[in-house]
Amino acid sequence: MVNVLDVSFLYMVGQAILLAVLAPFIAGLIKKIKARLQNRRGPGIFQVYYDLHKLFLKDSVVSPTVSWIFSVAPFIYFAAALGAAALVPGLTSLMPEIGSRFVDLFMLLYLFVLGRFFLALASLDAGSSFGGMGGAREMFIAVLVEPAILLALLTVAFRTHSSGLTAMAGVGADESSALALIFAAAAFFIVLIAESSRIPVDNPDTHLELTMVHEGMVLEYSGRWLGMIVWATAIKELVLIILFSTFFLPWPIVGWSFSAKVVMLVGKILLCIAAITLVETVTNKMRLFKVPGFLAVAALLGLLAIVAQ
Amino acid sequence: MQFVNIYLSMILLFAVGLSATPLLRHNLKLANIFAHGIATLGSLAAVLCASFIFVEGPQAFSIPVSLPFLEFSVRVDYLAAYFLAIIGIAGAAASIYAFDYGREYFGRRFMVMAELYLTFLLAMILVVTISHIFAFIVVWEVMSVASFLLVGQEYSRPANTKAAYLYLVMTHVGTAFITIAFLLLWKTSGSMDFAALTGWRGDEWTRNAIFICSLIGFGTKAGVIPVHIWLPKAHPAAPTHVSALMSGVMLKTAIYGMCRFYLEFLGTGPVWWGELILLLAIVSAVLGVLYAMMEHDIKSLLAYSSVENIGIILLGIGAGMVFMSRGLSSFAVLAWSAALFHVLNHAIFKSLLFFGAGAVVNATHTRDIEHHGGLIKAMPYTAIFFLAGAAAISALPPLNGFVSEWLIFQSLLILPEALSGVAGKLSAALLISLLGLTSALAAACFVKAFGVVFLAKPRSVSAAEAHEAPCLMLGSMGFLAIMCLGIGFIAPWLRVMLQSILIPFLSAEAVDNMVGAKWYLLGAQSGSAAGGLSLPLLGAVFVVGLVFAMALYRVCGCKNRLSGETWTCGIVPAARMEYTATGFSGPIRRAFGKILRPRTETVINRNISPYSGRRVIFEVHITHVFDELVYQPLNRYIVKLSRFMKEIQTGSVQLYVGYIMVVTIAVLIWSTRW
Repeated sequence: MVNVLDVSFLYMVGQAILLAVLAPFIAGLIKKIKARLQNRRGPGIFQVYYDLHKLFLKDSVVSPTVSWIFSVAPFIYFAAALGAAALVPGLTSLMPEIGSRFVDLFMLLYLFVLGRFFLALASLDAGSSFGGMGGAREMFIAVLVEPAILLALLTVAFRTHSSGLTAMAGVGADESSALALIFAAAAFFIVLIAESSRIPVDNPDTHLELTMVHEGMVLEYSGRWLGMIVWATAIKELVLIILFSTFFLPWPIVGWSFSAKVVMLVGKILLCIAAITLVETVTNKMRLFKVPGFLAVAALLGLLAIVAQ
Repeated sequence: MQFVNIYLSMILLFAVGLSATPLLRHNLKLANIFAHGIATLGSLAAVLCASFIFVEGPQAFSIPVSLPFLEFSVRVDYLAAYFLAIIGIAGAAASIYAFDYGREYFGRRFMVMAELYLTFLLAMILVVTISHIFAFIVVWEVMSVASFLLVGQEYSRPANTKAAYLYLVMTHVGTAFITIAFLLLWKTSGSMDFAALTGWRGDEWTRNAIFICSLIGFGTKAGVIPVHIWLPKAHPAAPTHVSALMSGVMLKTAIYGMCRFYLEFLGTGPVWWGELILLLAIVSAVLGVLYAMMEHDIKSLLAYSSVENIGIILLGIGAGMVFMSRGLSSFAVLAWSAALFHVLNHAIFKSLLFFGAGAVVNATHTRDIEHHGGLIKAMPYTAIFFLAGAAAISALPPLNGFVSEWLIFQSLLILPEALSGVAGKLSAALLISLLGLTSALAAACFVKAFGVVFLAKPRSVSAAEAHEAPCLMLGSMGFLAIMCLGIGFIAPWLRVMLQSILIPFLSAEAVDNMVGAKWYLLGAQSGSAAGGLSLPLLGAVFVVGLVFAMALYRVCGCKNRLSGETWTCGIVPAARMEYTATGFSGPIRRAFGKILRPRTETVINRNISPYSGRRVIFEVHITHVFDELVYQPLNRYIVKLSRFMKEIQTGSVQLYVGYIMVVTIAVLIWSTRW
């Protein structure tokens, strides 16, 4: 029992709560930067917190068609996102001595799958076409993302011969082979955009039935449940950003003091956010059936990275 | 107590069941209870036999039979005991299910079905325990024929008889190859006993020939693409408890055969054996799940998903063989145990899913999921059990499917150790990403299956009038659902057990320190850098998340919940507006159009009524590549050949006498020349 619930477990829980608290800020920051890039003033950077607060205070409207799946799904989605936040090598990569050996890449990825599975089921539960369409498209994009994300992360996993996240974070992407790093980083960036439902794959700001994917899936939700889903989505995005910064934005931080490492990680996250907002601003949402090609590019880049390694 | 006694009493139990059931033919209720009771007891006896082996060590005995070539010799080592346990567990669940399910068949050849079911179960038990070449082929054939007759149980539907005959042909092609493989073994080793074949070392040509023959033979039974075509047709046609056993267990007897050949008889082979199996495996996995995704017949969907899972199992076996040929025995143990683990898991969740499907089909009288819907309200327990199976087969943590898939991922991750160079890395990367694709597709497929069958509003009258399944059917489903959850958590122990199965074959000494035999950790490799999978940790993290979410929900939320109808742009929602299974799989069908080659047919009838507009019938057909490229031309060729033979076979006696005379003269001339 000691080994499971030891210090590293408490750190993981702490990290999950920290990331959960920070996630809406990151989401707000992305909105703000995006607005500035589009010459708008935009909402304040704490707007997402206000939104969540508002959602939690609102009544829920629930369709009489739905079953218990609909009420269970937000909890599972939220718990899965929080679990992923606990597993991601964030704090633990800064303090290798507390890193648990037992956190695994596939654990992290399959927690996302778990959350998505139940949310997609819930989208079919209310019996509307919008929900089903959103769920179908979400699963479709997930199918395309899965091989690409694995290929991108394999460049790191092959170096450690294992999928242990702490071990992988210790090695990071191959700095000695810049080409492989660039390819893998590009591949993962595409995947990051697709997974966090952003332009050009999906549009987080729209409620137009022809374009929405993730938003369509959760269309029937309201009140606290919607609040949980919005929050969990923000956490998931932050987890992906941290994965990206840890593995694909290498920087020699060995021997640095803890505070310097934290500043470095924050800097990387901000850089990543800037890149995401820039892409959101300069591209248009692509047609759904262009997405396979887009993600095939990611998969090919991942393969190239493995060859170049 | 002697092992012989337990084993023979199990056989005796089945023999009593087989001979006494016909006596009860006038009282079907009693016959049902008797036959399936015997089947349950027999399966439990099989589990008992297997546990005896795991406690006391491998056992063997032999009873001479006064027939040429035949000897009733039984040898149950750990490998056989493992498969025996799987047959026992799934068999017991299926038999309990059949108490209630069998009543559907009263008056529809019930007695035949019960007898065949007992035969089928007994034959599977014998297949994994018998250790004599000739006897093995005999019981293998009995198993095939019994299952063929069960597939043809509802022979009034032409599709079923067609499926049954296709199965019969394919399984005999398979048996022919298996027989050739065994005959080659017998010819070069001179022994018909499995134990004598263990240390067999033949020349390269013979070994390769045996490998290919056994691969085709057992591959046909296992449903490996491209020799899978019987599987998705035959499995759905059989009664549900038999479908469950065919998909969950009978396919595994083929895997057992492969284990026997590649671990024991052939041993370490050249690298291309493993590579060939890896190739077949990944093709089976990806195509199997793609076809499952496109399927609307719930039982066919599950059958195609069996093809996928056999592919996943073979990924482990193929990787294991590659490691074996490179002498990396501890890695080989990892890969093989991943495969064997998935064998158990698939037996459990696939039986569970078939049971759920059977309950749904019983309640709605249709297998087409487009006519189901909303069943979660009428059948709440079936729904939750089916959901457990669906989650397990989609490899969702922390269920058992995730654990075995994780082990397969780990074995593929270290594949570059055996296949050096860029090519090795690249192939390992491709295999891993395609396995990821497979499991994502499986998740999509089972979201579709569960969502369309159980959620939203009923899509047909029969679905609206559905009722919950009887309690014994639910009981056996519940038992398997609990196993899906439990096996994930006992995985570290199971892993140690699988090692003890494999170590005798792989002569791996360094294995013991590889697995941390700790209750909370499922290790992959030795070494400090490598991690492991800790399901309790994952569970703890998830539970913390759940508690956090609950607290959030309870403490800082508004508790009012209003009821409001689903928004459908102002019209009253109806089942017709729900997203269909065809719609759900649409994007994937389009993205993988090159492989699936969908053909759509839209019929628009505008003459219905001037007011309501038109009626549109939309149909999608998927092209099954191998059917069209291989089997249909082959079929045409065989028909053509038969036509030619028909010309000769006129039926006239005079002509036949003429043939005989011509042949006689030819033979005479031929013989006088020497």
